[in-house]
Amino acid sequence: MTETSSDNGNPIQIEIFPSRLVRPETAKELLTEISNLDGIIRAFIQGPRLPTQVPYGPAKGSVVNHPSREHIQIGDTDIELSVLVGRIRLEIEDEDVKENLREVCERVLPFGFEFREGLFIQKKQTVSDYAKRGPGADPKLLGLYDPKSKVDNITVLNSEESEA
Amino acid sequence: MAYEPQFYPGATSVAENRRKHMSGDVEKLREISDDDLTTVLGHRAPGTDYPSTHPPLAEMGEPECSIRELVEPTAGAKAGDRVRYVQFVDSMYNAPSTPYFRSYNAAINFRGVDPGTLSGRQVVEARERDMEAIAKFQLETEMTCPALASLRGATVHGHSLRLQEDGVMFDMLERTVLENGQIMAVKDQVGRPIDKKVDMGKPMSDEEAAKRTTIYRVDNVAYRDDAEVIEWVHRVFDQRTKYGFQPL
Repeated sequence: MTETSSDNGNPIQIEIFPSRLVRPETAKELLTEISNLDGIIRAFIQGPRLPTQVPYGPAKGSVVNHPSREHIQIGDTDIELSVLVGRIRLEIEDEDVKENLREVCERVLPFGFEFREGLFIQKKQTVSDYAKRGPGADPKLLGLYDPKSKVDNITVLNSEESEA
Repeated sequence: MAYEPQFYPGATSVAENRRKHMSGDVEKLREISDDDLTTVLGHRAPGTDYPSTHPPLAEMGEPECSIRELVEPTAGAKAGDRVRYVQFVDSMYNAPSTPYFRSYNAAINFRGVDPGTLSGRQVVEARERDMEAIAKFQLETEMTCPALASLRGATVHGHSLRLQEDGVMFDMLERTVLENGQIMAVKDQVGRPIDKKVDMGKPMSDEEAAKRTTIYRVDNVAYRDDAEVIEWVHRVFDQRTKYGFQPL
């Protein structure tokens, strides 16, 4: 249907899976270091959701105030963490970036992690993607958003560099 | 010679802990006051009387019945308490107890209880003061590590997730927080904020949790390390298969 980012060259996909669920401070340090690396095409973080309100039960609707639901600053961009970081999946340019990435993880994550290469971000549009974004969708956004989500939680970092 | 129940086979520390939980012969590790317990359970305000659903049995004029004469009612039934619940969640990362062993503990050692065993949580329903006695027993003894187990009436899914960086089981509603090395409850078991923080105790170290757990894990005590347990499980499966096999 459309050209995907993965069609440009042969990028590698990496998953970082920490042994513990990462605190926002550690997540900030890790994400800042990753964003400073060259050769990262795109990334997403995944983990258990931190709701703002109790979703069900007798306390439904009460405010949760989860201390891990924090705003973190990556470069000039402010991101609100709506999940506790459990894994990070990235698309990177080549093997050199992979080694730099592993070094960052070894430095920042004190409790160990799994680091694996594989296919984690989809390469083709699904029917739902096509229905939501149409034929002219930006291939770089493929696999980074939930077609059913009502909120847009994609953040573009280093946009000036990428446009240059 | 008096009969001594054996409860569970096996020679490993996990088997020994399972026997302890089933027999109720567990070590008391911490103190939680009655008011604190009532606060975190969230069924009534601390210090208030137990609401009742019927008058005390002594005032009701019960019919003549040999079974009623034989069986002493529990304190809660005698007073006509409401039936209320307590629900525990235990992490899969070496939490001291598991839903099955909490149920065994309640059913073997307490009367008038209705334990419900699910994959990630364990609920006990009983008359309110009887339920509080079980909750207090399980919270104060080695059956509970406040970091690896907690009271959760709703949203229990942290039990199967990795632990947080500070070693505490994830809770989407953040009912407990780690403060100065102690686990403090800031919400009741369904996530309603409470007036004052309740000290639930000190978390166990990784080594202590591994020593006190009733969970077989390959990174601690593997199930297959316990030859006697394997032998008895095989025997149970073998006998019930043969019992069910009824050729024409």
